[in-house]
Parts: sequence; structure tokens; C-alpha cells
Amino acid sequence: MPRTIRFREALREAMIEEMERDERVFLMGEEVGHYQGAYKVSEGMLEKFGEKRVIDTPIAEGGFTGIGIGAAMVGLRPIVEFMTWNFSAVAFDQILNNAAKLRQMSGGQFNCPIVFRGPNGSAKQVGSQHSHAMEHIYATVPGLKVIAPAYPADAKGLLKAAIRDDNPVLVMESETLYSVKGEVPDDLDVVPLGLANVVRLGKDVTLVAYSRMTHVAMEAAAQLEKEGVSVEVIDLRSLRPLDEDTLVNSVEKTHRCVMVHEGWPYGGVGAEVADRLQRLAFDSLDAPILRVTTLDVGMPYNAKLEQLCIPQPDRVVAAVKRVLYRGQAHNSEAVA
Amino acid sequence: MAKILDMPKLSPTMEEGVLTAWHKKEGDEVNVDDLLAEVETDKATMEFRAFDKGVLLKLLVADGAEVKLGQPVAILGNAGEDVSALLSQASQGGGAPAAPAAAPQPAAPTEKSLSVAQTSPPQAVRAPAVVRSAPLLEPAQAAAPAPRPRERGSLLDRTEREGAPRGATGNGNGPRAREGRVFASPYVRRAARERGIDLQGAQGSGPGGRVVAQDLDNLAKAAAPQPNSGNGHASEPVTTPSGAPVTAMGLALPEVRPLSMMRKTIARRLSESKKNVPHFYLTVDVDVDKLVLFREQINRELESAAKAKSRKGTEPEEKPLKVSVNDLLVKACAVALVRVPECNAQFTPEAILVHKRVDISVAVAVPEGLVTPVVRNADQKSVVAISSEVRELAGRARAKKLKAEEMLDGTFSISNLGMFGIDNFAAVINPPEGAILAVGQVRDEAVVREGQIVAGKKLAMTLSCDHRVVDGAVGAAFLAELRSLIEHPMRIVTG
Repeated sequence: MPRTIRFREALREAMIEEMERDERVFLMGEEVGHYQGAYKVSEGMLEKFGEKRVIDTPIAEGGFTGIGIGAAMVGLRPIVEFMTWNFSAVAFDQILNNAAKLRQMSGGQFNCPIVFRGPNGSAKQVGSQHSHAMEHIYATVPGLKVIAPAYPADAKGLLKAAIRDDNPVLVMESETLYSVKGEVPDDLDVVPLGLANVVRLGKDVTLVAYSRMTHVAMEAAAQLEKEGVSVEVIDLRSLRPLDEDTLVNSVEKTHRCVMVHEGWPYGGVGAEVADRLQRLAFDSLDAPILRVTTLDVGMPYNAKLEQLCIPQPDRVVAAVKRVLYRGQAHNSEAVA
Repeated sequence: MAKILDMPKLSPTMEEGVLTAWHKKEGDEVNVDDLLAEVETDKATMEFRAFDKGVLLKLLVADGAEVKLGQPVAILGNAGEDVSALLSQASQGGGAPAAPAAAPQPAAPTEKSLSVAQTSPPQAVRAPAVVRSAPLLEPAQAAAPAPRPRERGSLLDRTEREGAPRGATGNGNGPRAREGRVFASPYVRRAARERGIDLQGAQGSGPGGRVVAQDLDNLAKAAAPQPNSGNGHASEPVTTPSGAPVTAMGLALPEVRPLSMMRKTIARRLSESKKNVPHFYLTVDVDVDKLVLFREQINRELESAAKAKSRKGTEPEEKPLKVSVNDLLVKACAVALVRVPECNAQFTPEAILVHKRVDISVAVAVPEGLVTPVVRNADQKSVVAISSEVRELAGRARAKKLKAEEMLDGTFSISNLGMFGIDNFAAVINPPEGAILAVGQVRDEAVVREGQIVAGKKLAMTLSCDHRVVDGAVGAAFLAELRSLIEHPMRIVTG
């Protein structure tokens, strides 16, 4: 029987089940214990597992990230929570130079089975320094795996797979998704890393998204359906490794692709998807691949400007019409 | 150490092949020179043999798969070796010249099955000394000869706008200087190729006149009413290779027969020939009473020779060799070509190459089409030698065992449809040769001899000539030589 639970509960269930399954798994981060989690993801876990396995850390990401990596090297399986991924910038050196590289540089003598997780991307008016889409930066690094679920079931299944993986896995959550509800099967085990999911079938255009933008893409697809456009939506779920097959198969059918994600347009996951598709499905494309991204500025605090910067369904709809050569939309003067 | 086996070049002209059958399966031990698989190339079925020994760990393509040159087909290594890294390398195209993206792939894992430790080593990362690409961009754009009018300042330009093709005017679908270049999306170019639609001069509905998918149906309609100039091509496709249904309502769908490699080669080479080579045709009708008698005489001699041999006891009775009219014509042509070498020539843009060898291609019908094995130096071989060679080549052609080089570099072709009851026909030149002789059947005709109508035998032959090499008078001179040889058949063997 599937139950309907919230995204944060799905994450919590994944952690609890894995900690019960494997005593090497533990959680640490700012406010994960006594405060019950900054976003209440770890609610009740301190009471359940005790202070040895649910550890409150000081506000020192570089330090506790390094401690986690060291623990992983010597046989534990830490889950390190960042209060938000924005703060992982302080720990970037540890992730880039230690977590990602230890296995290769030690010639396989050390594994680094660690999970980093936390909310990512924009929330609501958290300001320029707290609205970063960090997945683009991390997904460029060989040695890391990066996942970004959109639905509670995937959040649970992918986090469980991440905890069991012998490599560093970065889990990109979203503050605005934590309360989203979805069905999660009772017997859900792991969802394998590296597989995208076609969450809506269509034939005219492929919309590619992940995390919260999957929901934006679905909204745009519903709107476009009313105008007679059949949209296929792919939820990437895993950003690295990237599921080329699902992307190529879809574009070979639809011949058009629009990528939707938060984060700036320079480089990033959307540019990577566009590169793979133009190489692997060149002869299938009927239009350039367009990307709907956060605008190329630091995030404004002003609520209206903020919403203007973040991809919205109407911008996705306009981009889809452009790749379909509908109306005046492909005229570059048409949209201000 | 496991390694990927790529599709090797099994013939000089091979670009792809159909792996018709594996002779080893996964887990089999392989020794050097073991037969791994059979591969149907553009002309023959070739053997794909092992260069190394080891264990066949993984087959990457199934029987019947179309495989590009250099595309990975298998992994060879030691028993039990981990091949996941090689698998992902193979599925990403490996070092193959053409990434097999569109080709049907077996369920090969991609990057997703790759554990991080197996990813390629990190490349040296250099930070740019000064990050100032944005300021530099402005003067560079200002200096460009004709910057497209472009809405600067809109942040959406980065990802959600596309540029119109160069040469397009600023306002979308307006006229533009096209300079003969048609702008069309990659998908449209492929689809147009498959549907036989010519995009030349097409005006599309996309930005700057780009031809996009929705324009294809209109282009197809516009092209359809114009009948093909010249003779009607029976080969006009009614379906796309993907089997898309014909548009007319209520008509039964045709059976879709995928093109074999041989059929593709025939289509390509003969289309090229008819498109590029200016053909003209010369027909003669020669008396062959003496040739037919001469042939019977030769065959009687061969029969009694075979009997004499078997009577001596050592050798078991073998079927006596029989010379055909065609064998005599091959030899006759060879002799005539020595006398009129201008017909034994080939056109190149720089010069005409008059061959010093007489290598005659003999068209052989096989179930899937036809092939043209070459009888080398036919002028220097006896009729009997030619006869047995043609028989042997034709046998192997039907078994698809001819090597590619045995079908290359002929200097003149003979195609004979007499055995199918054809009186006379004109053949398409087999490039780069300069001429081809089409031979019909021996007919019983009433002929006038010394004022009397008598029963006689006739044979019609049509020489197709490449007018860039062979002029009418030269072709006629060759046919006159040929006629004289055929009407005095002893000269065929005396030279």
C-alpha cells in the first residue's frame, strides 16, 4: 500500500531505515539533533539513535565536512547535512580535493562512502547569498555523484541508494519541496542512481528538468496541452551520472528539447544536456535546444524581481513554442 | 588486459557491414585466427578472424546488426575480467569515427553503471589569469562587419533565444541573401534524404527561412506532381525506410524490405553512373551460326578428352568442362579490346587512362542482386581457362564468398541476359569502366544469304559507351572487330 507522505518525511525514513540496517551510518550537521533539524528533516532521530549517531556540529562546515570524509575513509558511512548547500562553499575544498579525489589518489586504498545533503537553489526571499544552485558546480567534478529528486518516492529511494554507494554522493533537496506530498510505496527499496524518469509522455517536445523545476515543467506541460502541444517531461533525478539514453530516446521521438533548471545560464547541467543531445542526436533535432534558467544575475531580494529571475511556467511555455516554431515566438524581438 | 574489438576494414571500400552471424559466443575461448564472425560487406560476406587469443567476454552487437567501421563489436580478455569500464567506453562510441548514437544499441550500460573510481583521471585545471571575457566581448562585437540587430540587455538572450541563420534579415521570415545555401535543421536534412525530397531552393517557415519539420509535407507535395524527366523511375519510394504508411487512403500498405548492403551498393553505384556518365548505345546483330558450331566442336573435344582421362583409370570420371557462348564472347571481347584499346579506357577529370591490361568484369546474377567478378588478363587466357574461371567465380559469387578485390578494377564489362530469354538490352556502365557490352540470346532467324532466305542464328549485342572516353566511331570500330571475330570464331582462339 502506498502512503502519501511529505518530501521531508521520505528523506527521514530513508535515513532511519539505513541507520537501522547498517550501524556504520550516522548523521551530523548543524541543528540536526536537539533542534530536530533546521527544516525538521531529522525530527525525532536524536531520540531514536542517541548522540553518538545524530551529532550536532558547530557552525564550521569546513571542519565537520573534513571530519565526515575522514570517518568515511576509515570505514564509517556518514550523512553530512548542510543547513543549505550555499554553506557548502565554505567546505568546497574538502569536497573537491578530498572527497572527490581520495579514491583515485590513493590508488583505491581508500573509499569515501559519504552522503552530503541539504536544501539547494532558491527558496523565498533568502537573498543573493543563500539562493545558489550549487549542483552545477559539483556536477562538473569527476569523483562525485550528484542527485536531485523531485518527488518523495525518489527522494527516499535515491537517498537510500546514496547511503549505500561507496562514493561521495551529493543530494540536492529544496526548501520549497520539503512539504510537498507524494505517494511512497511501503516496500520501496533503493532507486538506482543514474536513471532519469519520464514523468509525462508526449510527442512534440521534450522538457528536461529536475528537483523543483520538474514541477514547473509539469505545470507548463499541462498549460501547453490545452493549446494542443504534447509535451514529454523527463525528470533527470541524477545529474551525474547523466542518463543519456533516456534523453536521446525522447529527443529522437520529439525532435525538440527545452531544458529547465535553476541556476545561471553559463555552463551547468543544461549546457551539458544540450551538448550530449547535439552530439548524440544531431540528426534528430529540428530546432536548437533552448534552456530556461535563472537569469544571469545575483538573486534579487525583492520578491517580484526574485520571481522574475527564477524560471516560471510561462517562460517555459514561451521557450517550448519557440522550439516548435509556433507563431511569432521565434522572432528574437518578440519577447521582452 | 581486456580490450575492445572494433569492426575491422574487411574490404578496401567497406564503410559499414552487417554482422550476419557470430561464430563464437560469450565465454568462448578464442585463439589467434579463429573465425569470430561473418560480416556482409558492400559486396561479399567476409570472415572476421581473431588477431589475439583470449576469452570472448562480451558481444556488443547482435547477429544481423549493421555496424560502422571501427564501431566496437566485442570485448576480448581473460576469463572473469571486469569489463564495465570498457563497456561504457564502447557504448560511448569508444575511439570509433562515428558514434553509434542512432544505431540500435544492445542494452549496453552507459555512464550510469560507472563507478567513480573508474572515471578518467582528472585533467589539469588551469584558472584563467584574468576573468574578463565579458568586457572584451563588446568591442569585438562592435568591430564585426554586420552585427545582427539583437535585443541587447535582455537576460533571456542567454538561453531562450536562438540566432537566425547568418544572412537572415532581422525580422524573422523576411527575404535574405541565401547564396545557394539552404538552412535546414539536422532532422529535416535526414528526413528529406529519406523521403527523397530535394531541399535545394526550399523556403522554410523557420527563422530566416530555415526549413523545419513542419515544412516537409508541403515540400513533398510541391515536388510530387512534377514527373521525373526522362524515363519513369520505378524506384520512386512509396514508403520511408521506417515504414511510414503511404498517404493515399484505402491502399494496402506495401511490404517493406530493408535494403541489403548489396542493394545499397547497387543503388548508389548505378545511380552515380547514370547521373554522371553520358551513356550512348550501339547495337549490332551478328551471325552466330559458326560460333554455335565452333562451341559444339570445342565441347565435343572436351568431352572425349575427359573420357580418355577417366579411361586411363587413375582419375574418377569427372563432368567434362563445357564452354558457353558467353565464355567465347569474353575471349572475343578481350581480343577486340587489344585491337581497339580506346574502348579499354577510363575517364578521369585530368586524363583518359587507356589500360594496358584487359580485365573483364562479368555480371553474375545472385539472389540479392548482381555482382561483377573480374577475369584478369582475359586476352592472355585460353577460352577453356576463362570458362572454368568464370564458373568458379560465379559459384563463389552465389555463395557470397568473393573477396572484395576480386570485384574491383575491371576495365570492361559484359552482361549477358540471354539465358533469361532477352533478345537485346542496354546495360548501365559499371564505373569507372568506359564501356559495357550487353548480350542477348542466340535467336533462330530467317536470314538472307546469297539471295536466298535460309535458317540462321543471330545474336544482338548493345555496347553502352561513356561518351567522355569512347566516341561513336571508336565504339563502332570495336564492334566491327568483335563482329569479325564472332563470324570467324577460329580467330577468337588464334588471336
